[in-house]
Amino acid sequence: MCPVYQSQAYNNAGQPGGVNNVSRPVKPAPLPVPPPALKLGQEGFKKVCRTEEDSPCPFPGLSSGVLEMRVKEGSKIRNLMGFAMARMQGEKGVSGVNSSGGGLRQVVFTGSGRAVTKTITCAEIMKRKVGCLHQLTKLRYKVVKEVWESTEGGTSEMTVHRTVPSISILLSKDPLDPQEPGYQPPETLSALWEEREGTEPATASKRSLGPLQYTSFPDCKRVCLGEGASVLPPH
Amino acid sequence: MNSEAHTNSKTRKNSEARKNSEAQMDPVEYTLRKRLPRKLPKRRNDVYVNMKTDFRAQLARCQKLLEGGGHREICVHGLGLAINRAINIALQLQASSQGALQLAANTSTVELVDDLEPEDPDEAGEPMTRTRNNSAIHIKVFYPDAQ
Repeated sequence: MCPVYQSQAYNNAGQPGGVNNVSRPVKPAPLPVPPPALKLGQEGFKKVCRTEEDSPCPFPGLSSGVLEMRVKEGSKIRNLMGFAMARMQGEKGVSGVNSSGGGLRQVVFTGSGRAVTKTITCAEIMKRKVGCLHQLTKLRYKVVKEVWESTEGGTSEMTVHRTVPSISILLSKDPLDPQEPGYQPPETLSALWEEREGTEPATASKRSLGPLQYTSFPDCKRVCLGEGASVLPPH
Repeated sequence: MNSEAHTNSKTRKNSEARKNSEAQMDPVEYTLRKRLPRKLPKRRNDVYVNMKTDFRAQLARCQKLLEGGGHREICVHGLGLAINRAINIALQLQASSQGALQLAANTSTVELVDDLEPEDPDEAGEPMTRTRNNSAIHIKVFYPDAQ
């Protein structure tokens, strides 16, 4: 059998939050923050395979025939959307838009690690194109098993269990339970903020200076100014 | 020296080729300048996650709000690349609370504006703007009300 080393794989996405626990049984992420991980990828090891461990469906009570789109890092959005839109709108819709007639009622987009952003983008595109979709978003950690092999000859191999954040987005033409955490009613693109502000007095009672808090966020500003400076030399 | 000259000529060739292929639509070279995301509400319990600040600092800030700050809920926001980090922070908070905290995530699309400024002021290029969309996530991290 190949030896299993007690070491840590560097989360190559550069995400310090990706918790690495190596060749230990699956357990909740160690806390509070993972120790600085060793750089492994560059030092004579290459990733041989990567398998996501099976985890239960985040949406209990979902009918089995639901279309599940597994978004990967290299997936092309046009491929994903071309397939998913055709299924949601019904195959027979050759010409014209028949968003209500035929097609599936629900679709789930899932993605983990660096594919999370792409997953959200897919869901957002579909919401915009299909319209009137109820949304349920779930977040969790997913365990990924990676096998790394030494490139400098020899037979050393190591198995790494990594937990990466993953997202599952259920989009449904039928109403969903609004009490469920992560529920989003249709057409909240712009209403999101107004709605939040409406509920604010109940949650943030300590608020004393109103107008100041709605000025732009300093961190955001710093980021963007820095970027601008690097792109455009000063006059 | 030699190699430098070589790469120079190569890049020039490349840029010429690109110019030719896009001659109809983009004859002038532009500098792309990204504007700030539009202003968003900033309450005391809002945390906007970015990729410049240290991850642990941002996590500690959230923990302080929930434990020391006396907030029952906070909102963690992430845009684009920072979505991953926002999710990580929320999941770490939840895991460290031993199940006391719940997450409710919403997604949205944020419209961003880029300015295109002509690189060479002598050429007749007009400054332009271009809008594009980016995905964002808003995660409510909260203690469920215990009745």
